[in-house]
Amino acid sequence: MSYAYYPGCASHGLSKDVDIATRKVFETLGLKLEEVKDWNCCGGGFLDEYDEIGHIALNLRNLSTVEKMGHTKMVTPCSVCLHSHRLATFKYKENKELRKEAEKRMKGTSISYQGKATAEHIVWVLVRDVGIEKIKERVKRPLSGLKVASYYGCQMLRPEEIMGFEPAFKPHSMEDLIAATGATPVPFPMNKACCGFPLMGSNPKVGIKLAFNVLKSAKDQQADILVHPCSLCHLQLDSLQTRIMSEFNVNWTMPAIYITQLLGLAFGFSPEELGIGKYATEILKSKGVI
Amino acid sequence: MSLQNEEAEVIIKVKRFSPEKGNWWQEYKLKVDRFTQFTEALRRIKTEQDPTLAYRAACHMAVCGSCGMKINGEPRLACKTLVLDMVKKYESNVITIEPMDYFRPIKDLIVDLDDFYQKMYKVKPRLYPNEQVLKGEAEHRLKPEDQRMLWKFAQCIWCGLCVSSCPSVRNDPEFLGPAAHAKGFRFLADPRDTITEEREKILLDSAWRCTYCYMCYNVCPRDVEPVTAIKKTRAYTKIAKVKTPVIETGEKHTEAVFNSIFESGKIEEAKVYLSTYGLIGSLRDMIFLLQSGKLKYALVKEKPVENITEVRRILRGE
Repeated sequence: MSYAYYPGCASHGLSKDVDIATRKVFETLGLKLEEVKDWNCCGGGFLDEYDEIGHIALNLRNLSTVEKMGHTKMVTPCSVCLHSHRLATFKYKENKELRKEAEKRMKGTSISYQGKATAEHIVWVLVRDVGIEKIKERVKRPLSGLKVASYYGCQMLRPEEIMGFEPAFKPHSMEDLIAATGATPVPFPMNKACCGFPLMGSNPKVGIKLAFNVLKSAKDQQADILVHPCSLCHLQLDSLQTRIMSEFNVNWTMPAIYITQLLGLAFGFSPEELGIGKYATEILKSKGVI
Repeated sequence: MSLQNEEAEVIIKVKRFSPEKGNWWQEYKLKVDRFTQFTEALRRIKTEQDPTLAYRAACHMAVCGSCGMKINGEPRLACKTLVLDMVKKYESNVITIEPMDYFRPIKDLIVDLDDFYQKMYKVKPRLYPNEQVLKGEAEHRLKPEDQRMLWKFAQCIWCGLCVSSCPSVRNDPEFLGPAAHAKGFRFLADPRDTITEEREKILLDSAWRCTYCYMCYNVCPRDVEPVTAIKKTRAYTKIAKVKTPVIETGEKHTEAVFNSIFESGKIEEAKVYLSTYGLIGSLRDMIFLLQSGKLKYALVKEKPVENITEVRRILRGE
């Protein structure tokens, strides 16, 4: 079983560990990931405000390649890339005027989108197509006793009419995956709130505050670490964690790791192999998980 | 939705409030059928069981915007939500009802919407037409395609659900909120309006304070898509005369994203960082990355898109 794989710019950049961990997890499950040939950026959540038509055309370019590769599902670890592609196809299918403009832009290019390929999140594929039972079978090191805050972020859930995998106010895919590793999922009040990453482009002060709110909410529920499903939440909550801590003058950490990094640990990989950061590794050691 | 009339007994738990008692939960049992709306359920509770229960409802058909509240945690209009639909969605006949978030509760499910109205009035929510048109000396023209685009943002019924669930409204007093932006953009982009420059001053700085969480899009009962209006408002930055620090950072960032994609087909984080925050800002963040042990990934060089000509052609619109 193979899927077209769209890493996104972050997973090949500052969030490279997301890509590394995802590939290891899929390999362990016996699934092949074929990187989309010559993929281009989805726009990062900012292109559509600058050039709405170009945004649609660029996202369809990736999906057209996916169709040519013989796939209907393009899986991505990044919620923003997922959201961007699904928004583009939604607008293309529902809005006649935007569709006409997009076709004008795509004229003469190699793009020939037939409407068959869709963007899917790796979490959706793991829960819906692979199944929790198969994932449990591969667990070599159960993460018992580890309390993991289950964070969803926003782009994977909203708007419900475009994403459609689970109810935006009552999701449970992350809790299912965390429970499969043997760890204890810890829901918390801000688990569907925005991490503030998009605000970093214009108003970083409030962006950092939103990230802090999420981490504090997880800390207040006595979680050990937080798990999230997005390469860009990774940048905000993990890579910039020290910035958040210094800004708000707190002496605690709430390390944030990507969902496949947690699964990878349960499958038996070491934190170094999965690119897990310093603070998360410290907590894992102190809880006796590794 | 099946037309077969189903019936069920539900337990509705309402988060009540009074200035004397503070908050408390009260339970009511009710028999409902397939077509019972929540406004109907509340009306029956008030008339048959507890006349002290306070809530707002008027039209019962999603045009007045009075009955915004949280049902099982979801910001919804009570009239537009059927009780049995929630029972099925949450697989439980126990349903919680709370007032909308963010606004100060006055009594039970009634909240103080003054803040919401203040934000709306700030964006001058009416058309400011041409003097000659007002005198009857000239005619207003609006092309069908313009009307089609503006129509979506004019559907707002001022229910307040979007503002109550917006994270930026809660954390940033300078942000006008999704409803005000949808309304403001509806007039900013209306070719008949004559105070465009003034509207730019009111709307532009605030438009760069949205965090694109799509909560407003998700909860709006009239499909207004306020976040889309905010994105379209940002496009006016190109022609704006006055730019605050938030506008400038935002504009630099979006242009850097576009330029990076134009150049290599991908977002090269280092370049975008430098263009947005400058050298000092970027160096400071690099120290934080170093502390987290993530600096090694900052130097990862990504392969540019091979068929870059195609990408550029798409973006240039040739």
